Amino acid sequence: MRKRENKLIQVYKSKKPYSDYILFGILLITLPILVDMGWLKYSYLTTIASILIYSIVALGLNLLVGYSGLISLGTAGFMGLGTYLAAFLTKDLNLPFEISLTISVLVPMVIGILTGLVSLRIEGYYLAIATLAISEILRKIFVEFEVVTNGFSGKQASYPTLLGFLDLGRNGTFILIVVFLIGIMILTYNLINSYTGRALSTMRGSEAAAQAMGINIFKYRLLAFAIAVAYSALGGVLYMHFVKYTYPNAWTLTLSLNILAVIIIGGVRSIPGTVLGAFVVFGIPDLILKRLPLIGDIDGAAYIFNGVLIILTILFYPLGLIHIGKDLKKLRFKLRKRKESYSEQA
Amino acid sequence: MSIFIQILLNSLETGGVYALASLGIILIFRTSNTTNYAQGSISMFNAFIATYILMGTGLPAFAVAILAMLSAFLVGVLVDRIVISRAQKVNPVSKQIITLGLIMIFLGLAPMLFGTDPLQFPRFIYGAHTIMGANISYNAILNIIIGIVIMIFLFLMLQKSKWGLAVRATASNDIVARMMGIPTPLITMGSWAIAASLGTLAALMIAPTSSVNLSMMDGVQIIALLACVLGGFQTFYGPVVAAYIIGFASNFISFYISSVWSDSILYVLILITILFKPNGLFGKKIVKKV
Repeated sequence: MRKRENKLIQVYKSKKPYSDYILFGILLITLPILVDMGWLKYSYLTTIASILIYSIVALGLNLLVGYSGLISLGTAGFMGLGTYLAAFLTKDLNLPFEISLTISVLVPMVIGILTGLVSLRIEGYYLAIATLAISEILRKIFVEFEVVTNGFSGKQASYPTLLGFLDLGRNGTFILIVVFLIGIMILTYNLINSYTGRALSTMRGSEAAAQAMGINIFKYRLLAFAIAVAYSALGGVLYMHFVKYTYPNAWTLTLSLNILAVIIIGGVRSIPGTVLGAFVVFGIPDLILKRLPLIGDIDGAAYIFNGVLIILTILFYPLGLIHIGKDLKKLRFKLRKRKESYSEQA
Repeated sequence: MSIFIQILLNSLETGGVYALASLGIILIFRTSNTTNYAQGSISMFNAFIATYILMGTGLPAFAVAILAMLSAFLVGVLVDRIVISRAQKVNPVSKQIITLGLIMIFLGLAPMLFGTDPLQFPRFIYGAHTIMGANISYNAILNIIIGIVIMIFLFLMLQKSKWGLAVRATASNDIVARMMGIPTPLITMGSWAIAASLGTLAALMIAPTSSVNLSMMDGVQIIALLACVLGGFQTFYGPVVAAYIIGFASNFISFYISSVWSDSILYVLILITILFKPNGLFGKKIVKKV
């Protein structure tokens, strides 16, 4: 007989991935409350907020790497552009948060599309090289264009004001980030399961076959790249309003590589995998490695940790850590079966 | 006139540095079918080793350079044996990501072993000479000559020697090459080792002007990659010629237009060139078979 289920659980089960995402979001929203009650250190909240921001950025890159097989090394540059635009528009021009957000996402997207137009016509690896160059140009602009960017000393911003009257504090901004992350997760899930997503999936299987079926590879590659850039710019805007400070050296190649590590380690083409990967890549070094007695003192331990993890994941566990639970379950099942067969023999 | 000659001499020197680095990248691309983003980091790492040998033993700079190239050779062999040779069945995108992971490892190892302070590496020889009104240091002349000699030597080896034949066979089709009895794993390992040594030499050439630090090779690495794009990935000589062209353009732009924005202008110019010559200046169109 089927167990009678609570109505809430029924709804939860029928809307499976969405309800999971929303549940995750609700869990995250309780964190600032825990901080206020003194159960969680404030520094953890900052770390978790940056992890969530990097998750948003990584979701875009995951779409690009996972479905179109392209690598972008400009993630950090576009994210940095997002931060500077957000700071300039809200602080110097006093524009409202919503308009600044729109412009700060659109401008990097246009630059991204122009880069894509040049480099996506040819082989896939051209995009990586082109974005590497664009990222360096952007960093140069951050340093040299002092009137707007303030050069090496960096630029400041404040917590956002929603709709012109709702001043968000630290906790409010954290909740805003969570809302954006959940929204982006749902959006990405829908995108993957739409016509566009199916076209991208076909491309991944075989570019030639996709072309033969009438899918315009160039168009979908460009779309995937534009989405990746837009997500990184959005991440940049949120970063600016939470951390409230940006400087050129924050947006180097190492950040782009870390974001790439997020999706490889977490799981390519997996939305929860990306978030898990962000917690591994940005969380473990910050929350655990730095607190260990010996390793914590070494500069660059985090880089080595992430670099080794990328290579090990690609060589031995290419689907990513998100599948580890499923594989462990399978393994346990197999072991139990083997045990049963032994006991039958005996 | 003297300014033009000055620019020409300078660009021969910087072009040589770019050419050495891009030759390493193209060698690896052709034999193990991946763009090696870690070339710059490996060179940077070995430049640190060189500086430490120099400070520890007080040997002359050129002897240290040879030792550093040997250590780079060893690093290249290790990277290939430990990582790349195991990744043969991995798809091309993941292979590139592996080299990006290598960057992180070397960027983490270098400050751990050598500290974060920038170090100084001396010139090979000191003194300067004036040719037709252009001032050039003996060190620059030496760098130009070393660059050209090594390049000619490698190209002769690629065309005439048995090793070169094996490399070219592996580059054109590695399965058939293996069937013909060519030890392709050994060839790939050799390419990684030689590429690392070439990159290290390039790093030591620019070290006196830029100091030995974590980001010393970033610009060279980007330009070397762009040189491969500009010259086309299908030939060995294309990227080298493109590297010299870029070296000239870089000096020209920084003298006549802007020294601050020269790299940025250069990158944009190269990207625009690719728009019109998608397969590079010397590349052929790749025909894909299904």
